[in-house]
Amino acid sequence: MTASFHWRLAEGGENLQRAMRGLRDDPAKALPDLAAQIHFCREAERVGIDALLVDINYAKPAPMVLALALAPHTRRLRFMVAHRPGLMSPTLFVQQVNSFSALAEGRICLNMVVGHSPDEQAYYGDFLEHDPRYARMEEFLEICRGLWETAEPVDYSGRYLQVEGARLNTPFTSPKGRKPQIFLGGNSKQAQQAATAYADCWLRFGEHPQRLASAIAPVLKSGTAVGLRLAVIARPTRAEALDAAARLVDLSRVGDKSEHEHLFVNGSDSVSVQQVYKMAADEWLTPNLWTGAVRTYGPPNVALLGTPDEIAQQIIDFESIGISHFILSGWPKLAEMVYFGEEVLPRVRRLEKKLDPAFPREISHA
Amino acid sequence: MPDLRFHWSMSSAGVEFKAARARSQHSAVPDMDAHLDFCRHADNNQIDSLLTAVGFHRPDPIAMAAALGVQTSHTRFLVAVRSGIMSPLLFTQQVNTVAALTKGRISLNVVAGHTPAEQRSYGDFLTHDDRYRRTDEFMTICKALWAGEVVTFEGEFYHLEKAAINLPFIAEDRSCPEIYFGGSSDQAYALAAKHADCLLTLPEPPEEMAPRIRPLLEADTEVGLLVSILARPTRDQAVNDAYAVLEKVGNRAKKTHRDFSKHSDSVAFTGQIRKAEEHSNHWLTPTLWNGAVPFMGAPAIALVGSYTEVAETIMSYKQAGVTQFLFMGWPDLAEMNRFGSHVLPLVREMEPNG
Repeated sequence: MTASFHWRLAEGGENLQRAMRGLRDDPAKALPDLAAQIHFCREAERVGIDALLVDINYAKPAPMVLALALAPHTRRLRFMVAHRPGLMSPTLFVQQVNSFSALAEGRICLNMVVGHSPDEQAYYGDFLEHDPRYARMEEFLEICRGLWETAEPVDYSGRYLQVEGARLNTPFTSPKGRKPQIFLGGNSKQAQQAATAYADCWLRFGEHPQRLASAIAPVLKSGTAVGLRLAVIARPTRAEALDAAARLVDLSRVGDKSEHEHLFVNGSDSVSVQQVYKMAADEWLTPNLWTGAVRTYGPPNVALLGTPDEIAQQIIDFESIGISHFILSGWPKLAEMVYFGEEVLPRVRRLEKKLDPAFPREISHA
Repeated sequence: MPDLRFHWSMSSAGVEFKAARARSQHSAVPDMDAHLDFCRHADNNQIDSLLTAVGFHRPDPIAMAAALGVQTSHTRFLVAVRSGIMSPLLFTQQVNTVAALTKGRISLNVVAGHTPAEQRSYGDFLTHDDRYRRTDEFMTICKALWAGEVVTFEGEFYHLEKAAINLPFIAEDRSCPEIYFGGSSDQAYALAAKHADCLLTLPEPPEEMAPRIRPLLEADTEVGLLVSILARPTRDQAVNDAYAVLEKVGNRAKKTHRDFSKHSDSVAFTGQIRKAEEHSNHWLTPTLWNGAVPFMGAPAIALVGSYTEVAETIMSYKQAGVTQFLFMGWPDLAEMNRFGSHVLPLVREMEPNG
């Protein structure tokens, strides 16, 4: 009865000890920084992080390849590799995932996303709109499921995807099962439906626990777990945490970060991006849930803010409504993760023991 | 003329006579230790790059190159790729990521696919000629991305708008990977002349090849041979060992490749197999033998002979204009070691005069 804690992999070119200031398009971020990223991975493993999120966009290294390069430098750590259907044959995708599993002891799970920017999708040659992108996601995952779960060749003829007699000689191999754990993100109805049908865990951005509880109830009931994407600003005292948050907002005023983020939101057709951006008008969702970073750093950055005790309690409040996965990030990237792992996580584990054990929050690895 | 370059297939690292069995029966769970050992031997034998091939019966070649690339420091990887199963932008992003992680130790072997049923299993329903036209578009887009352009492209098969990536191809001496093309059809030749640094093709006797490859050489595209090799201290030993290979793999292998041919639309592969089945004399020249082709497929056409004979044969191909070789052996590791110790030194000795 314990939640899993994941963290977002630090990108190359970011000074891992400092707050993020650069633009999303910063060319330096496109370069892997293997030495720093290996260190980040090892620290993640040491402090009890389950998986590192390796996300996807045109401005970054390809996540599957980068994760494969990092995996040999760790032993238990998993990699949550992001992928957008529509960019690759589902058969080839499963072949890459399965090859990864064979080369790295099955330490891969997937973050399936549909993409949030029509402009960026067009770079990849994808011109579908929001709702059809989710319909294609379901077709994609149906084919993947066939390749993972059945011994027979897979035939599929959908509206967006067709394969005939698909089979692979490289199976998915992992101590945890015959297929990778799938995390699927998005706040829209379509995302919820796809997650319920095909994912192990539905990912959402942070919200007030009470509002969240009703939104996630049907998904939990269907047996799919729910996870949250959140930022963390944990400091020994609340004053220090508030100070760190204030400096973060100040930093964002340097350069045109804010302007850039505004363009990002306007250019997005993601329901969740729009929703969280609106929600951020209200700066404090709870005394320890701060939206002040959302308008400058983006929707994943609803932040857990406070002392280790406060943040642990806020996490437990989420766990008590059924949240069982947390994908976190922070500033400075490495220091925040280490502080979280050393100071917050042990407190969460102690509090978890007092939680009502009847509540279903184990997620199956089928 | 540049020095001859030699590459080796890594497909069967750790497995003997893999090509004699049906593809559906190949295990595609990679043995990392065997592969890393193979890489070390390739370095010792001055092999230029190792081919990671593509197919449903293998692990993904880009994943292999990435995993092996970060655990080696010299070996270069020739990664096979088929167009049409990945967005050109994502593909370029994956290739550039491997390059950034391995100091540019990746080149590409672009192939069109050889079996329609296998292509359909990846969601590709195009015919042979259409696949070549699509490969043309694919390479046009990839090369523009490597040139750092913001690419808007509206073709018959691909449509992209303002595509760009921030991670360039990073290598000591190049801003785009070396491109090899595989094939023997007219389309393959035309496309190689347009896009490739080198066409990898199956061997014919050198004097027959020379006129056929001349247009490519004039277009500044190198020509390489995809060929097996069996070199021994004496010719007798080589010929004996060649026939012994057939006995080991047995007649069941023959059926495997007849079945393969029935389902393939590759001009290069089916043509070779037919030629080898139809003729009773399998010695196309005293050192070019296609006797193993019916058993192990088209790339089993082999240079067979004494170390000196094989070295001289390589030089005769050099005179015909061939500058690169992608070898396979039975088994690969032992043959690669023989080549590196006994044949390559002879070749390097002959080269200044050839």
